[in-house]
Amino acid sequence: MLLGLAVWLICLLALAPLIGLVQFAFSGAAAQPLDLGPGGLLQLGNTLTLLLLVGVIGAVLGTTTGWLTASCSFPGRRWLAIAQLLPLATPAYLLAATLVDLGSRNGLRVHGLAWSVLVLTLSTYSYVFLLGSESFAVSGRRQIEAARSLGVGPWGSFRRVALPMALPSIGAGIALSGMEVVNELGAVELLGVPTLSVGILQRWQNDGDPQGAVGLALAALVIVSVLVGAERQLRHRSRRWGMGSPGDRLQPWPLSGWRAALAQVITLSPPLLALGFPLLWAVSSWDQMHGESIQDLIALTLRSFALALLAALLTVAAGLVLAISKRWIPQVLLRRITFLAGMGYAVPGAVLALALMLLGGPWALSPLLLLVWGYADRFLAVAKGGLDAGLERIPPSVDEAATGLGCSWLKVLQRVHLPLLRGPLLVGALLVFVDTVKELPLTFALRPFDFDTLSVRVYQYASDERVGAALVPALLILLLGLAAAMALVPTLERQRGPH
Amino acid sequence: MSRSNQPRRPVSVPVIAGLVALLAVAAGAAVVVRRMGRTPVQELGVYSGRHYNTDKELYRRFTEQTGIRVRLLEGKDDALIERVRTEGANSPADVLVLVDAARLDKAAGMDLFQPVSSKQLDRDVPANLRDPQGRWFALTRRVRMVVVNPAMVDPATIRTYADLAKPALQGKLCLRNNRSVYNQSLVADQLIQRGEPATVSWIKGMVANVSQPFYTSDTPLARAVAKGECGVALVNSYYVGRMLAGLSGEADQSLAKQLKVVFPDPAHVNVSGAGVTRNSTQAEAATRLIEFLASPSGGEGYAEANFEYPLKGYGSSAILKDFGPFRDDGVSVQQMGEKNRKAVELMQANGWS
Repeated sequence: MLLGLAVWLICLLALAPLIGLVQFAFSGAAAQPLDLGPGGLLQLGNTLTLLLLVGVIGAVLGTTTGWLTASCSFPGRRWLAIAQLLPLATPAYLLAATLVDLGSRNGLRVHGLAWSVLVLTLSTYSYVFLLGSESFAVSGRRQIEAARSLGVGPWGSFRRVALPMALPSIGAGIALSGMEVVNELGAVELLGVPTLSVGILQRWQNDGDPQGAVGLALAALVIVSVLVGAERQLRHRSRRWGMGSPGDRLQPWPLSGWRAALAQVITLSPPLLALGFPLLWAVSSWDQMHGESIQDLIALTLRSFALALLAALLTVAAGLVLAISKRWIPQVLLRRITFLAGMGYAVPGAVLALALMLLGGPWALSPLLLLVWGYADRFLAVAKGGLDAGLERIPPSVDEAATGLGCSWLKVLQRVHLPLLRGPLLVGALLVFVDTVKELPLTFALRPFDFDTLSVRVYQYASDERVGAALVPALLILLLGLAAAMALVPTLERQRGPH
Repeated sequence: MSRSNQPRRPVSVPVIAGLVALLAVAAGAAVVVRRMGRTPVQELGVYSGRHYNTDKELYRRFTEQTGIRVRLLEGKDDALIERVRTEGANSPADVLVLVDAARLDKAAGMDLFQPVSSKQLDRDVPANLRDPQGRWFALTRRVRMVVVNPAMVDPATIRTYADLAKPALQGKLCLRNNRSVYNQSLVADQLIQRGEPATVSWIKGMVANVSQPFYTSDTPLARAVAKGECGVALVNSYYVGRMLAGLSGEADQSLAKQLKVVFPDPAHVNVSGAGVTRNSTQAEAATRLIEFLASPSGGEGYAEANFEYPLKGYGSSAILKDFGPFRDDGVSVQQMGEKNRKAVELMQANGWS
């Protein structure tokens, strides 16, 4: 009963902006709600191409790095696992801006689809890495042990046992990176690739047709929902449960010689690229690294940190309630609604910001409240993705046993689910934290007076073509992300037992 | 480290909820304490589409002169317009500062400004740079100018914007894409001056001269011309000013020195400007701020730090003086805003993507 109420409340809060958008889209005299306008087909094609390429490359990269850092041992493994978070903490528009600027200083034209694929893959593959490696670390140990005792090698045990068990998590990671790709705006604009989100904004700004823009955004949302829904349906057929409890240890595959070197190269490349471009820029142009006072930087960092912490806690709590409810309340309608509630991530941030303004304006809600609401709404998918996948690994028989012993859902949650979900909860919190620190459109549109954050400054400078001034706040964003990773990754590592 | 029979209790739901509540209370308390600690002073809310650190310096000077505090929110012009609109009567914004004619006109069209009559503004802001009804006033000017690589193109062959469509420039012209509001306003300006047929053939002629993909920002465009990757390009004056001042490093400075700057005659002038919001209850103080920013002393500071031109004359920057004089084509900013949509349509329809 209590759970049901909580779920409905969260869904209502999560869906209110979307419902507001639907109303808004139909309120105006939008000439043709789904007319993309000139260049619309190209925009749609670009979006789909990016989705496909970034999805495939990111899936391979994230799964590889996840498996290597979770199930093998080689020199530097632990640090390289933490480093995988750096690319995620790098705002895509900053990466694009530094690349364009570096290129134009050195006579290289950084422009077009290939560069966009590089930038977006770098900034989103970590979703697959984090969710995948968490799954590799805890699931299917006994099966792998069994396979090993039957003489199956590392590759075989990965392919036959670990990968199928991690598929739900990997799928969730790909879905998240896909949503990010669909709503990415800054980077693709800088790289001159018109995508749907560019079209949506064009519609709003140039045609003075916000309703039409919103209609388009909702159409994009439907596309993404269908993709994600289809992925889940497919996966549903191949369900596997594994009981990884923190107690049993999996002996990692020791890698040595060229194999270890290759593992190092593979895991080092993405963070090196993500951090390398901005650092390369900084080194080559140190004569223009001027900007903020130290005092100002501290204030910006504190604001970013506080907002991100608040958003992470709220969002993970809401995500947990939604994920748990699916186990206890077997209503198809509710299932559909919770699925939709986790889709806020696929709406372009600028459009979601508009929705929140429409909601908050008449009520004079505090901008900060709206902002945190927006974060939670947007990143619910991020928190929920890993939790859903984590719960899928827990066999229903466990719940049945516990309820058979007279435990309420709350007790089962405390004694069974939470201990087993520690990994996904931490990963979710980490992802939401990092995402909030670098989030731009919502923060930009909804923040109150005199309340700049690091990402706001980065964007202001980068969009004003002053990359030099943007770098210091950008590095602080990376540092915050890294600090969060260092705080949480060891906890994840502990689950795997010592090496 | 075996914890198989003693699983550590994870952080439980109440603890997390408590933490969230604590954070919320602390934030609330901080706000209250800040409010209590303040002596009541008059405060103006400013939403600004400009974001230059130097603007803040000017707001500080205004506060020193008048005792009126300025609370600032910088954002994207379109989002700020939407925010003022949805906040309605609750909006804390008294002054809305926007960049580009198109956006000023859009906000006026949505009835977001209240008309202001001020003798000082009428004196300091030329008539074509303010709204005829006094809803907004320009504060700074920028020129969409031509930069030429003299080794590739003879600067003397370019006297007007129309010259950029000459077949002689085949393969040498580089342009920024149509998402740039600066280009949109330039096309709107040409529409007003030369009419639609001439503007369409001008766009087509220019697009035929372009061989590289459209650029997405001005600074790389200026660099490309200096390096000889392009012969000619259109950029806003202040980007070249910044490069010449060494703001983006020595390499850029020496690149910019190789550029030949040409002001087409007459030149297309765009503005950033401000108005008092429709629901402001402090119209008088808000007007004072706009007067201060538009005044020769205040306005010069607002413009100069970013190498923009003040409302009249050329300011005192040596770099701008070196660019030489230009003749403003006198097109009314308000009309330019009205033509924005048509301009974008023509660009999209004729290959300026």
